[in-house]
Amino acid sequence: MSVTQPELLPELPSLSKLYLNAAGMAAKNRLLGSDRGPGLPEYSAQVNHVVAGLPRLTAYQHLLGNTARDVMPAGFVHTLAFPVAMQVMVREDFPLPLLGMIHLRNRVESFTPIHYSQPLTIRSWARDLAGHRAGTQVDLVVEVRADSGDDVLWRGVSSYLAKGVYLPGVDRPAPASMPEDFNAPEPTALWRLGVDTGRQYAAVSGDFNPIHLSALSAKALGMRRSIAHGMFLASRALAEVRSPEPDAFEWSVSFDAPVYLPASVAVRIVDDRDADGGWHGSGYLGWNRSTGRRHFSGRVAPLSEGP
Amino acid sequence: MAPSASSPSSATPSSVTPSSAVPSDTDDRTASATSAPAGPAAPRDAVIIGGNRIPFARSGGAYTKASNLDMLTAALDGLVARFGLQNERIGEVAAGAVLKHSRDFNLTREAVLGSALSAETPAYDVQQACATGLETVLGLANKIKLGQIESAIAGGVDTASDAPIAVSEGLRSALLDLGRAKTTMQKLTILSRLRPKDLAPNAPGTGEPRTGLSMGEHQALTTAQWNISRAAQDELALASHQNLAAAYDRGFFDDLVTPYRGLVRDANLRPDTSLEKLAKLKPVFGRSLEAEATMTAGNSTPLTDGAATVLLGSEAWARQHDLPILAAVIDGEAAAVDFVHGKDGLLMAPVFAVPRLLARHNLTLADLDFVEIHEAFAGTVLSTLAAWEDEEFGKERLGLDGAFGSIDRSRLNVNGSSLAAGHPFAATGGRIVASLAKMLHEKGSVQGRPARGLISVCAAGGQGVVAILEAR
Amino acid sequence: MGVPSEDAYTRFVSAGFGRDLAKRLGLPQPAVLRRYSPHQPLLTGPVLVLGFSQQADAVASALLDWDLDVRRHATPKEKLGAMVLVLDDLSHPSDLAGPVLAAGASLRDLAASGRVVTVARDAAEASDPAAAAARAGVEGMLRSLAKELRAGATGNGIILHGEVDPSSASALGALRFLLSARSAFVDGQFLSVSIPEAVLPEDWERPLAGRVAVVTGAARGIGASIARTLHRDGARVIVVDVPAAGEQLARVANELSGTALQVDITAENAGDRILEHAGQRYGRLDIVVHNAGITRDKLLANMDPVRWNSVIAVNIAAQLRMNEAFLTSELFTDRPRIVSVASTSGIAGNRGQTNYATSKAGVIGLVGATARLLEPRGGTINAVAPGFIETDMTARMPFATREVARRLNSLQQGGRPEDVAETVAFLASGGAAGITGRTVRVCGQNLVGK
Repeated sequence: MSVTQPELLPELPSLSKLYLNAAGMAAKNRLLGSDRGPGLPEYSAQVNHVVAGLPRLTAYQHLLGNTARDVMPAGFVHTLAFPVAMQVMVREDFPLPLLGMIHLRNRVESFTPIHYSQPLTIRSWARDLAGHRAGTQVDLVVEVRADSGDDVLWRGVSSYLAKGVYLPGVDRPAPASMPEDFNAPEPTALWRLGVDTGRQYAAVSGDFNPIHLSALSAKALGMRRSIAHGMFLASRALAEVRSPEPDAFEWSVSFDAPVYLPASVAVRIVDDRDADGGWHGSGYLGWNRSTGRRHFSGRVAPLSEGP
Repeated sequence: MAPSASSPSSATPSSVTPSSAVPSDTDDRTASATSAPAGPAAPRDAVIIGGNRIPFARSGGAYTKASNLDMLTAALDGLVARFGLQNERIGEVAAGAVLKHSRDFNLTREAVLGSALSAETPAYDVQQACATGLETVLGLANKIKLGQIESAIAGGVDTASDAPIAVSEGLRSALLDLGRAKTTMQKLTILSRLRPKDLAPNAPGTGEPRTGLSMGEHQALTTAQWNISRAAQDELALASHQNLAAAYDRGFFDDLVTPYRGLVRDANLRPDTSLEKLAKLKPVFGRSLEAEATMTAGNSTPLTDGAATVLLGSEAWARQHDLPILAAVIDGEAAAVDFVHGKDGLLMAPVFAVPRLLARHNLTLADLDFVEIHEAFAGTVLSTLAAWEDEEFGKERLGLDGAFGSIDRSRLNVNGSSLAAGHPFAATGGRIVASLAKMLHEKGSVQGRPARGLISVCAAGGQGVVAILEAR
Repeated sequence: MGVPSEDAYTRFVSAGFGRDLAKRLGLPQPAVLRRYSPHQPLLTGPVLVLGFSQQADAVASALLDWDLDVRRHATPKEKLGAMVLVLDDLSHPSDLAGPVLAAGASLRDLAASGRVVTVARDAAEASDPAAAAARAGVEGMLRSLAKELRAGATGNGIILHGEVDPSSASALGALRFLLSARSAFVDGQFLSVSIPEAVLPEDWERPLAGRVAVVTGAARGIGASIARTLHRDGARVIVVDVPAAGEQLARVANELSGTALQVDITAENAGDRILEHAGQRYGRLDIVVHNAGITRDKLLANMDPVRWNSVIAVNIAAQLRMNEAFLTSELFTDRPRIVSVASTSGIAGNRGQTNYATSKAGVIGLVGATARLLEPRGGTINAVAPGFIETDMTARMPFATREVARRLNSLQQGGRPEDVAETVAFLASGGAAGITGRTVRVCGQNLVGK
């Protein structure tokens, strides 16, 4: 089965280097034209023996409003695994340009609590290249296992959009009907996000994408100000929905309008409980109170069955 | 010395059992409250059901990045797991920390919210320096005795690793002014006030605000005053380590401690230490005194991180929930000394509190089956014992006919104390109360009466809090 | 960390590109097994009851009571959820042809994760050689059939002892387990039912309601999974593990609204401490699951006393000592249940595991001999012998060994901790009242041993 063997990386790739490579490649493609193929390469990247650093875990837990438990929050596992997904996206044969890609949706299934000392194997690949009315979208799948174990402990699927990129052979769907009007409900919380929110999350997640760091670096990529990391918003919502996190749960989010920093985000969390108070899930929603635009919406729910 | 409300001699008003714990016979709770029998009734017991703590870590060790909130939550979660209190509404939770960030203003309530307890459990913070933990137990026990609550969790936590760093007074005042400034010019003027020295942070110390002396320097004065020898201090430290190690080995802490962050036992514990090793350590306090410096890192407690909790309840509540009853909180007493000008040693307040407490119950030191004297320093324990054995001190300072008495050393800190376990300030009270309650329960009765134990905890500011527990 | 998941290989060959590749290369294609979750239908399709005895009719009518769609004759092309062969009246091997060939004719219609269950009497108790031959023949037929089944379907049997009838409550309890998705990884096995009486659960979703269970080694892996499953089935659970695992234990306890008891089971008074806790907190103890176990592998030539003794102490001596305490306790008298976790190593042996296999075979022996001690209390004791189960422990095996071990069974995959847990929960329930002193393998019909 050599065709499907993942490329084994010696260690977690450095995200800042990956961003640098991506920038370099973008420049090169502008000059020489891209030789990217239209389809997805049959490629997956894997890193073994990944162990979370306790200081970074604790810093993450504190920033997101989690108690520093010995079990890693699902959002932290995302940050731990993110460089492996990046490795897939920065390759020459990956058909979409990394820089400027928009995070549309994210879905995580966390099957079991993962102790911070557990060495992990992380594998990632891309799938489901598809047309989108505004460009081309792709799913990045990440699976996390115990080192040399075979059970998936955590699985994340991140859907990204390369805006304005249309690939030959990838169907362009008819424009979707206009999104239904968003009627803002009464918020249950109001998040005040300082201008340094992006930098703080970058420090604990390692995701130093320039659009999050400062107004200046964001402008260089066509944003009017820096924006909050989508996964920061989703992770903070998760922390507010359930702390401690359930043992097995799914956690999804869809991103709408970006959150320009600094910001005040209205948030509503609604628990779905049965008559006995048993928890069946929670929905969450974030929006801008002055513009009435929705920033994100998602759900956290217990997982009763395996993947 | 006013008798406390919980003293057996003072009658406490009868309470209708709160509806949270005991289902009332009538649907109308207000009606049942007003129809309660009038007049005083016997005060009831507040009992200790059990406890849980996380192992204590040396500062900068296993819990370096963990906050007070993290550790207190971890200790609470272990307690909840031990006693099956998931989603239980507890009457009240009180805990505290000595070194506290301003963001932790509602520390205990936040810990409850993050724990497996019901989010409808109220909580409040307490701070009485190193006596915080014991004071939470006494305060909550009193509420239980008065019938205000049926159940309670007392506790404390401290971290010397994640201690708050304060900004200098100059920077603080400039920052506050900056917030009030309206124009750029005003802001610039304020910023121009700042000098490089203003940017240096103020790390928290254990120094006394009024004397500027550290706690160790204060104790060195007392140690020298009572002529406590280096050898005696080292022996006490050795006993502490040996007793704690033996207690771990026989599983004494199996139902008192839950591991955290990979730590399974108290990190400060040195089962293999010896008098020879302790004798090699250089003195760290009292080096400027005329007397020989005797206090070393071996016979003083190190800075420690940790958290401890104690589950309390009325007897009825404990029985209804099928929970064990280890001991009852009989009474407590606080004292303070005038240490500022050297009249008494900083950590000598318990020397005064204990005689008052025992007198109230017609007890002497000989009536105690276990004595737990918090080992802030070996010198503190030995100075306390020396003062009680001193005839002149007994007459002049304690108003007795002679010496207060001596303690059978085989009853003192029999499962180790702070020298071996470490001393995360506010957590020490909970550690001692839960351990002593278990020891008393195991002992059962002595000569036909319930086994009895004394706890003595000294605290900064020249304070001390002491308590009597009795086996159940 | 018990983990619900197919292994990577199974997932890979079950989807798109991997499936095509596996087909081309002729690799085994293990099925994704249908596993139990509350409120799911007992079967995915009708059940065909074969056999001509009165008991066959009685079984069919009992199955109707469970709201199953029962067929007494196959309807061509109709997908079947299960086939039950009621063979309690065999007197000669030639009696087998009718029902067995009828089953064979319908095998193609058996749905994915379908079930074939035989119900026959014990060969050793037959009054004449021809009947014994017929009864024993059922075992050979079923074990072979189990190996022919595809797509996660399993074949298992029930062996009736003494006067136990196929439609007795205890036989039906066993039958329900084998039909259900709870037995997903039980394959090619026989459940021996020797006591006819059973109090079947009023609510099949919560068969352990009102029961108090203790699970040792519950901080992680199979033990945590057992605790979760017992809790799901309605039991209140005391989770036990060594003090060093206390933190994970507290997590499990808090998740299950149970209580955590940190105790080293090799301690002299471990049984008393468990009883004290159970008595204090719950006033009773109904179910004991001896799950705690360790491995200290070494070839016997290199075995040292520490390795040997620690495995014996934890895996078998501790159980013996604790059982003495339980068996004399007043708390443990209401239809008590003991379930021990053994291992297929204890049955077939395993290189490098003389100590472990000794202890696990010892468990099987212990269970057989303890059964009669529990009889006066209306109690049972059984063992569950897991085959290759995907856990932390197996994750540490070398890759190639693990890959081979995993495929060496009829289902061509490793089991999950929940598979062991489901069987433990069944043996702890009223439906298993007729089974005692036995060892049930949860191994996907592993090729080793019998």
